[in-house]
Amino acid sequence: MDSFVQLENFGRLAPYSQLFIQGIIVTVMLSVFTVAIGFVLAIILSAMRMSDCYPLAFLGLDKEGHQREKGFGVTLSKFNPLSLIATAYVEILRSTPVIVQVAIIYYGVFGALIELPSFTFFGFIKFERFFPGVVALGMNSGAYLCEIMRSGIQSIDSGQSEAARSLGMNWVQNMRYIILPQAIKNILPAIANEFVVIIKESAITYTIGVQDIMSAVNAVRGATFIIIEPLLVATAIYFCLCFPASKLIAHFERRMSRGDKR
Amino acid sequence: METRDKIIQVTDLEKHYNFGAIKALDKVTVDIDKGDVMVVIGPSGSGKSTFLRSLNLLEEPTGGAIIFDGVDITKKKYKDENGKWVKINMDLHRQKMGMVFQHFNLFPHKTIMENMIIAPVKVKKVPEEEAKKKALELLKRVGLEDRADAYPIQLSGGQKQRIAIVRALMMEPEVMLFDEPTSALDPEMVGEVLDVMKQLADEGMTMVVVTHEMGFAREVGNRVLFMADGKLLEQGTPEDIFEKPQHPRLQEFLSKVL
Repeated sequence: MDSFVQLENFGRLAPYSQLFIQGIIVTVMLSVFTVAIGFVLAIILSAMRMSDCYPLAFLGLDKEGHQREKGFGVTLSKFNPLSLIATAYVEILRSTPVIVQVAIIYYGVFGALIELPSFTFFGFIKFERFFPGVVALGMNSGAYLCEIMRSGIQSIDSGQSEAARSLGMNWVQNMRYIILPQAIKNILPAIANEFVVIIKESAITYTIGVQDIMSAVNAVRGATFIIIEPLLVATAIYFCLCFPASKLIAHFERRMSRGDKR
Repeated sequence: METRDKIIQVTDLEKHYNFGAIKALDKVTVDIDKGDVMVVIGPSGSGKSTFLRSLNLLEEPTGGAIIFDGVDITKKKYKDENGKWVKINMDLHRQKMGMVFQHFNLFPHKTIMENMIIAPVKVKKVPEEEAKKKALELLKRVGLEDRADAYPIQLSGGQKQRIAIVRALMMEPEVMLFDEPTSALDPEMVGEVLDVMKQLADEGMTMVVVTHEMGFAREVGNRVLFMADGKLLEQGTPEDIFEKPQHPRLQEFLSKVL
C-alpha cells in the first residue's frame, strides 16, 4: 500500500507554485476588504440596534405627557423599526451557513439582479467573482462584528453614561467621548480575532470560483490528480497566516492591558 | 415669612414598577429653595436615591411633576407662552444640575484634567484654555492641583470623590445632587469629602444630599427629609428631626443609627 504522503509528489507541485502565491494574495486581500466592509456595516448595525428611535412613542404618553404604565399603546410605543431591522439581519446571518450566503450573493444577487463588469485586476483576480465573495463575507462578518461591538458597548458600566448625561452631554456626545473610547479598547482583541476567523472562512469562496488558496489546491488536483500534498501545502499556508496573526494579537492585548494596572 | 426663590418644586412625584405593584416613590411633594442644603435620610430601599435620581431624570417618574426653572421636566413636551408644543431639552436642564455618585463615575480613560474639562468644552463650547484655568482653580480648592495629569485609577477613593464634585462644579450648576457620596469610601476618607461639601454649602450652593452621615445632616443641613417605603414621612429642620422626631418610623430609624 502507498504511504499517506509521497514526498516526490511535492516536487511535482513546483510548476504550480505561482498559483499558490496568487492564492495567498487573493486570500489576504479578501480578508482585508471583508474586515473593512464588515467593520463599517457593524458600526451601522450596532448603532441601529441601540438607537432610541421610537416613532410611536407618543402612543405611550398620557394626556399630560407622562409615560403611561400599561396598555396596548405602551407596547406599540416601544416599537423601534431600526433596531428590529438590524436584529433581524444579525440573527438571520448568524443562523445560516456562510456557504449558503456566498452562493445566494453570487448566483442570486450578482447573478440575476446586478450585472458586474467582468475584468481582471492585478493581472489574475477576476473582479466578477472576487467582488461577490467580498460582499458575502463582509455581510456575514458584519453581523458577528455587530454583536462584538454591542456587547463591548454594553459592558461599559452604566455609571459612565449616567455621569456623562448628568454633565449635560447628549446621546451622541456620550457615545463619542465616553463610551466608545472605552468600548473599542475592550473589543479590539475580539475584532482582531474575527480577522483571523475571516482568513480561514474566506476559503469558502473557492466554491464561486475566487482564486484563493483553496482554488489553487483544486486546480493542482485537476491537473495532476495529486490531492493530499497540495492540501498540506494549503494547510501550511493558512497556518502561517493565522498563527502569527493570533500571536501578534495576544501580544498587543497584553500590552494594552498593562495600562489598566497601576 | 420671608419669600425665597424656589428652584425645584416637586409635586406628587411617583415612580412605579411592575404596573404599580412596587411604589419606589409615593406622592412625594417638596420644595427646594435657593441656598437650601436639603439632606434626605431613611432606611435603604426607602426611595431616597430614586427621588434624587428623578430630579435630573436618570429615573423617569411615572407621575407627578418636577418644576425646574419654570418647566415641568417630567413631561416630554410642554406648551410655551405662544401655545406651541416644545420638546423638553433634558440635556440643557441636566447642565444646571450637577450630580455626584456613590461610585464616583470618573472617566477612567481620561486624565483628571480631561475629566474636568470635557463637559464644558464639548457641551458648553468653553474655550479649552479657559476651562483648564478654571479646572486648576477648582483643583487647588480641593488640594489636588498636583494630580491634574494623573488617571483616576491612581487616586484614592476620597480623592476621586473630590474630583467628581469639582467636575460637576465645572458646569456651574444651580443645584448639586449628591447620591450617597461617602458610602463607598474608607472611613478615614469620609471627612475630606464632607469638608468639601461643607465648604460648598457655606458658599450658598443649593444642595440635595442623600446620605447616611447623620453628623453631616445635623451640622450642615438646613432641612432634613425622612423617607421610608417611598413616602416622605417627615421633614423639618435638623433640630426638629433629630431632637423631636414625630413619626414612629423616624423614631425607630434614629434609635438604630444614632
